[in-house]
Amino acid sequence: MLNETLIFASGFAVTLSSMPFVIRTMRKKGIGGIDVHKKDKPFVPEMGGIAVLAGTAVSVVTAILLFPESTNAALSFLACVFIAGLVGAVDDFKNLNAKAKPFLTLFASLPILIMHTYNPRGVVFPFIGQTRMTIVYPFLIPLAIAVTSNATNMMDPFNGTMSGSCTLITIFLLLSAVILGRSSALLLCLCLLGPLLVFFYYNKYPSKIFSGDVGSLSIGAALGAISVIGGLEVVALVAFAPQIMNAFYGLSSIGRLYERRDVSRPVMMLEDGRLMATKDPKAPITLARMILARGPLYEREAALLFLVVSAISGFLALATAYLIVVTT
Amino acid sequence: MIRRIIDFIIILLFVWVCMILGLWIIDRVIVPMNLAGVTNNLLSAIFKVGISAFLVLIWLWIWREIVKRSFWHAIKKQQDY
Repeated sequence: MLNETLIFASGFAVTLSSMPFVIRTMRKKGIGGIDVHKKDKPFVPEMGGIAVLAGTAVSVVTAILLFPESTNAALSFLACVFIAGLVGAVDDFKNLNAKAKPFLTLFASLPILIMHTYNPRGVVFPFIGQTRMTIVYPFLIPLAIAVTSNATNMMDPFNGTMSGSCTLITIFLLLSAVILGRSSALLLCLCLLGPLLVFFYYNKYPSKIFSGDVGSLSIGAALGAISVIGGLEVVALVAFAPQIMNAFYGLSSIGRLYERRDVSRPVMMLEDGRLMATKDPKAPITLARMILARGPLYEREAALLFLVVSAISGFLALATAYLIVVTT
Repeated sequence: MIRRIIDFIIILLFVWVCMILGLWIIDRVIVPMNLAGVTNNLLSAIFKVGISAFLVLIWLWIWREIVKRSFWHAIKKQQDY
């Protein structure tokens, strides 16, 4: 228990101490965005994901020192997260197009494939049990990492929604790892949870920093890597339901990959500061738009609703983990 | 606020139950199926994977339709008020 606490605490402490520095530096350099859902449209510094990456790196190193048998799993996880973070950093500075980003995040899976830190037999399903997907599964891993990282990247319409929902997913994956006895997944969740909690504290409404693509792509890739390395694929699929819903409906209503700036806005702000779903049939049906369909809400309320939806999916993910135990 | 949460609970629960039901159907119905006239094991496996993939696509389609209809119904209801 002490070792696990040290892993969590090391990542938490490093992100907590580096985040104020990242905020000050990014503000000074003018690296940030406009918080469009506020009446006064404040400037908010970006690339808070750098502090998350720093904390995750330290917690992974701590995990390797305390649990040397997990070295391969931990290193492949860290390499995956850093590659996705690098793609995100390039996008933050250069604005990659809608097809380039998902394509480049496929490469984040290479460390997992090269170091062979996945279950070679494939996925464990409820009822079905352990499948034998030895040929197909390695081809699905790059897709899994690209989908989770890009779905997370698309899931940041309000302050704190991405960081909060990913924190909840990590907690529920950690609990599922305990139910299913997956020690690798448990360790990797602890490595990610500390930095995520700190980031959520700074990113929740009203945000003091945004993640940038460096943060959202790397956090999404981290969750994808945990589900592959830790054998929690089906559980993660259920926990990721809001992100999948958001990405899938957005893509299917537009009919192609898109960047936010290229399509009609799904949400608009009213005079009193409340947010409302637009009625434009050309706008993507995102989760934010669905949440606001019944009427306008203040951003804080909409963000809270996002977290409630994530929590519901999390509980269903736990139920899925329990089903795997009792039916296989 | 509660009504919005209930909307999502219903959608998520329905989708999750469909997923579990689909997995049960694959395990208990599709996998043990004896395909009349197909003696080749590889062909039989390809056929069963194909049916399973088709079930997944139907699941995704149902999910999409529920969300689309629920969204435009909510927008219309808001306009009527």
